[in-house]
Amino acid sequence: MAAAAAIAASKGNGGGGGRAGAGEASSSRRKKGPGPLTTAYLVIYNVVMTAGWLVIAVGLVRAYLAKGSYHSLYYSIEKPLKFFQTGALLEILHCAIGIVPSSVVLTSIQVMSRVFLIWAVTHSVKEVQSEDSVLLFVIAWTITEIIRYSFYTFSLLNHLPYLIKWARYTLFIVLYPMGVSGELLTIYAALPFVRQAGLYSISLPNKYNFSFDYYAFLILIMISYIPLFPQLYFHMIHQRRKILSHTEEHKKFE
Amino acid sequence: GRQPRVEILDAKTREKLCFLDKVEPQATIAEIKNLFTKTHPQWYPARQSLRLDPKGKSLKDEDVLQKLPVGTTATLYFRDLGAQISWVTVFLTEYAGPLFIYLLFYFRVPFIYGRKYDFTSSRHTVVHLACICHSFHYIKRLLETLFVHRFSHGTMPLRNIFKNCTYYWGFAAWMAYYINHPLYTPPTYGAQQVKLALAIFVICQLGNFSIHMALRDLRPAGSKTRKIPYPTRNPFTWLFLLVSCPNYTYEVGSWIGFAIMTQCLPVALFSLVGFTQMTIWAKGKHRSYLKEFRDYPPLRMPIIPFLL
Repeated sequence: MAAAAAIAASKGNGGGGGRAGAGEASSSRRKKGPGPLTTAYLVIYNVVMTAGWLVIAVGLVRAYLAKGSYHSLYYSIEKPLKFFQTGALLEILHCAIGIVPSSVVLTSIQVMSRVFLIWAVTHSVKEVQSEDSVLLFVIAWTITEIIRYSFYTFSLLNHLPYLIKWARYTLFIVLYPMGVSGELLTIYAALPFVRQAGLYSISLPNKYNFSFDYYAFLILIMISYIPLFPQLYFHMIHQRRKILSHTEEHKKFE
Repeated sequence: GRQPRVEILDAKTREKLCFLDKVEPQATIAEIKNLFTKTHPQWYPARQSLRLDPKGKSLKDEDVLQKLPVGTTATLYFRDLGAQISWVTVFLTEYAGPLFIYLLFYFRVPFIYGRKYDFTSSRHTVVHLACICHSFHYIKRLLETLFVHRFSHGTMPLRNIFKNCTYYWGFAAWMAYYINHPLYTPPTYGAQQVKLALAIFVICQLGNFSIHMALRDLRPAGSKTRKIPYPTRNPFTWLFLLVSCPNYTYEVGSWIGFAIMTQCLPVALFSLVGFTQMTIWAKGKHRSYLKEFRDYPPLRMPIIPFLL
């Protein structure tokens, strides 16, 4: 879901043409854009994020070449992954203060779900860090984010290469299911360790008269993918048809 | 004579939906809505939004056709507000749920706690007291809905009832589960804490009721007039000097009292969520008071004296 939501719901981080987001029609209307200082900040933000995820991508490749296998590559990119994915929390702020026209709620869900997977699952349950499923979602996220942040960078500069737009609205077809599979398998792998350690769980009796079963909570999270993922996926397919055919028509008249 | 004509177009498609030929100049929007329903019975008046501009504000039922800036043929744009349900129905359902649900947990109905606890009773006084307070609170709300409140809108969208009931019923079940649990832990400071909390709760319930009565008396039956509320002889209403929506202030106070009484985290969370929502409503109400009344008392804050 974190992978899916990131592509589907995010329409922000500035930029003009051809943006797609949950419920937003692609428009060629000239919107009153952000001021020059804001645009500069957003460009810097998106460039830094693009660079960050490139660092993660390069880190993965180098680690693979050095180790000779694709297992346990998580450890080589753990720090930049945590840093740049957590940094995406700023995007919620961008929406809240209005410099980016996306919905705060939608952006929050997408970023929080990523941050949840990084910290509350992968970081917290050390035993899953060597699972192959982690590599699955890390690769999906890395490719998605490199494309997404460069898309925003170019949009802000009003020079969006068709290739980037195409990539953003096409690669998700594979990256989405890949990311979702990685996420679900990782959560599933974490379950027995959560149960064993009673991780983040509190039981009765206690003086706050409250209980929380993290194991049950994780299962609920997994179940929530069932209604959410198809909706996000088919929304993106719909957006793709609208945006890529729209561009085709424009090209015809050039 | 030149009797006005009214054409109604769909606000989104601009399709001509209805043409009303001889309309009385003194006709109100409400009457036009009734005429429109005759040709389109699936759109009963409560779900019609008629406006002069497709993107403009909805016209009010009381607006008179002649007084609107229209020519001899008035063009009105129609938007379907979706299935509507009356406010009274929604309130009654939202409040009856928690009343009933809490009692299921209080009486430890089977399948909630272990079998050996079925239909047993808690040995803690505070648990019985909490049940009385919670039940009183919702009975009060039901009675106020039936006999006290004067609603300015008749209806709200149907989907609201599902959203609202999930919220009220869900939280009621969640807090009731812990308070009535066999492993419930009574408050750390014992009877002192419970007495203090009960006092807060009772005072705030009385306060909340006083405000509801004062607001009711502000508006005559059947009317939709709005006036600035002022303190009355009832000391509980003196909070009007400091806040625009003291009913919300007292409501938050009641739940804080209940949270202290039960020392139950879910109750505290429910209070927090409720406080957040009521603050949003209070700020909105405060803003519309300021917009509508030039002479609105400047000292007043929306919900918390001097602060918020």
